[in-house]
Amino acid sequence: MIILDNISKSFNATHAVKNVSLIVSTGEIFGIVGPNGAGKTTTIRMMTGLLTPDKGKIIIGKYDIVNESIKAKSILGYVPDKAFLYEKLTAREFLIFISSIYSIPKSEALSRTDEMLELFGIKDIEDEFIESFSQGMRQRLLFASALIHRPEALLIDEPFMGLDPFGVRMLKGVIKDLSSKGVTIFLATHSLHIAEELCHRVGFINKGSIISIKTKEEIKGMEGGLEGLFLKMGGE
Amino acid sequence: MLLLIKPKLLSLKNSVSTKVVLRRLPFIAIGIGFWFLFYIGTYKVLTYVRGIEFFGEILSRKLFSMTFFSLLGFLILSSIITAISSFYLSKDIPLLLSKPVEIRDILRLKTFEAFMNSSWMVLSFMPPVFIAYGIGYGAPAGYYLLVLGCFLLFSLITAGIGITTAHILTRLFPAKRTRNVLFGIGVVLFLLLYFLIKGVIPQDISTPEGFINSIMSFKTESPMIPSYWITEAVFPVLFKSGFNIFYTIILLSNALFFLLLSEIAGLRFYRVNTERIQPSGERVSRGILGGYYPEMNTAMFYKDIKTFFRDTGQWSQVLVIGALIMIYVYNFKSIPINALSGFPFIKEIMVLVNLVLSGLVLSAVSVRFIYASVSLEGQAFWIIRTSPVDMNRFIRSKFLYGFIPVTALMLILVFLTNLAMDAERILMYLSLGTVLMLCVSISGLGTGFGAMYPKFKYENIASVSMSLGGMAFMLIAFSIVIATLSLESWIFYVYDIKGVMDLSGKIQIALSMILIILINAAAFYLPMRIGEKKLQEHTGIL
Repeated sequence: MIILDNISKSFNATHAVKNVSLIVSTGEIFGIVGPNGAGKTTTIRMMTGLLTPDKGKIIIGKYDIVNESIKAKSILGYVPDKAFLYEKLTAREFLIFISSIYSIPKSEALSRTDEMLELFGIKDIEDEFIESFSQGMRQRLLFASALIHRPEALLIDEPFMGLDPFGVRMLKGVIKDLSSKGVTIFLATHSLHIAEELCHRVGFINKGSIISIKTKEEIKGMEGGLEGLFLKMGGE
Repeated sequence: MLLLIKPKLLSLKNSVSTKVVLRRLPFIAIGIGFWFLFYIGTYKVLTYVRGIEFFGEILSRKLFSMTFFSLLGFLILSSIITAISSFYLSKDIPLLLSKPVEIRDILRLKTFEAFMNSSWMVLSFMPPVFIAYGIGYGAPAGYYLLVLGCFLLFSLITAGIGITTAHILTRLFPAKRTRNVLFGIGVVLFLLLYFLIKGVIPQDISTPEGFINSIMSFKTESPMIPSYWITEAVFPVLFKSGFNIFYTIILLSNALFFLLLSEIAGLRFYRVNTERIQPSGERVSRGILGGYYPEMNTAMFYKDIKTFFRDTGQWSQVLVIGALIMIYVYNFKSIPINALSGFPFIKEIMVLVNLVLSGLVLSAVSVRFIYASVSLEGQAFWIIRTSPVDMNRFIRSKFLYGFIPVTALMLILVFLTNLAMDAERILMYLSLGTVLMLCVSISGLGTGFGAMYPKFKYENIASVSMSLGGMAFMLIAFSIVIATLSLESWIFYVYDIKGVMDLSGKIQIALSMILIILINAAAFYLPMRIGEKKLQEHTGIL
């Protein structure tokens, strides 16, 4: 479960996120959409602990991300929108490194590394330096690293960046599967049809505030679907 | 070309604000303080040298040309390394190559960058030497203008030679990985340096006559080298005996020639070279440590070590440091201790001088390898920040990453130089103990400073140690070395030379010891704590 309790964040007196409150239930896929600069990435970065909210509380599972950050982070997986990785490590070494810093025991870490490399289709290039990876391969590796410690909550910023259609289909399957296993997923995206297809609920954020939350069923019943709603909300 | 430099200048302009200047004011003050001390030191040495009967003026001229002779080698080496970083490893290269920009313009932009990165530190540290010479000789105002202009031309010559060499070496070595290129450069340069030193210094330096002869016959006087040209251009003005335009023109024409040569080499090789060094997707052998699984505590350390040996930009800097250390050890081996044996406490003084110089080496090595270690995470630092690793653990890992190799290097260095000077056992133990303590405190200071002023979005790692924070760290580190050694010398003076063992003497010794411990503990602890806190609050990662 993820709880955002009245969180706000400003940069140089400009409100990036303003009084956002939200509860994402266990196993739910919650999507957040909005125009560029609406506050999606800032919200996610506060949830990961990369930014500290000026006001409000963020609970991941049962831990406060500010006051119990180590416990909260140990049950959190994060896929950022920019794939900066350790370029001079190989994919396998990178996953082993991530396993180590999440204190996964050796035998389990090795088997999970193999499992992730297989699942995300990067087994063939596991011993190549990350610097030679394409954007799509980096995105696959990012997902593998975010899932290797079996998180209870997964935060994803633009999940399908650089992926080919095979990759997109595979990843949609992974996200649905994680949700069915009880992983809480919070994703920010510009891809409306994917949000419509994957998310149980979608929140619209504009100028730092969540202005509407709709369920999958509500969106289906609307004229123009999510796109129509987005254009209407974005213009407000 | 000017259009390409514009983004760099704009970035510089945007990063300089009143707030930033105010925040950096203490560092600027430290820099100015050092400038002043450096000036005083040079002036005193110059006055002493000029006072020596018969040889004074010749020695002073000799010192000037020897300084530039050493700078020549250092700047060429530094230019080769920075040229490889700027031309072939910088992050903006793919963008520049994909734009409708002439290769010639890219080459000029990168030449400017390589020149600035390789020589700005030397350019900013030399003015006190020039001023000391100017005031010492009562030189006219024109001298200052001339010496700065000539020095700029001198630096441009070294940049031209360095850049040309970098292009040719990258072309010559067939390997796709640039590490082979740099290994080649290292071997060639070390051999050159070895034969150069072997060839130019006579081996008999065991007597005072031999010592003076060796300095006098040090072959910096060849009219074929830039250090000779700059000495010949500057000294007539210093002596107020007219202006020798011939050598100024030689400097100018050579600067133009070598810059042109570097451009021709670039036009010929750059395109092909940039294609050759593209990441190739080659498989990496897992090696004998392939099955090793680090615990959380050692994972970051292990990752850093692995990355270090794979990242050319990082370990190529070892070459610069290696060359400096080689010259340093050789110099100590050449000191005619026997010839100076008539002076009281000469061994103790030489051990102290050795420690001061090792402190300088420690500061220089630390800024390259310890200060830069936090920034080395680059924009991948988000991985650490979002993982369950607390910053204290992270910063300790970074401390160990720098501390272990630097301490091993320094202990070996001081041990070898003391051995070369035949230092007594007690002096050896004291030196090693002092160096060990300084390594702890300076490594802590470096890690802490690096965490306080991280630069995660760097274009090449050399620019991190060359930043204002890096310079400030180096100066503070050296101040701590000087403070520690001054207090130790005072203890030695009271205990061994003055022979005061009354209550006042004991109090002085105790106070000095406490101060040494306090200074070093504070240097280790405070920056680490502040750095840890700053990293926790750092927001500009992704």
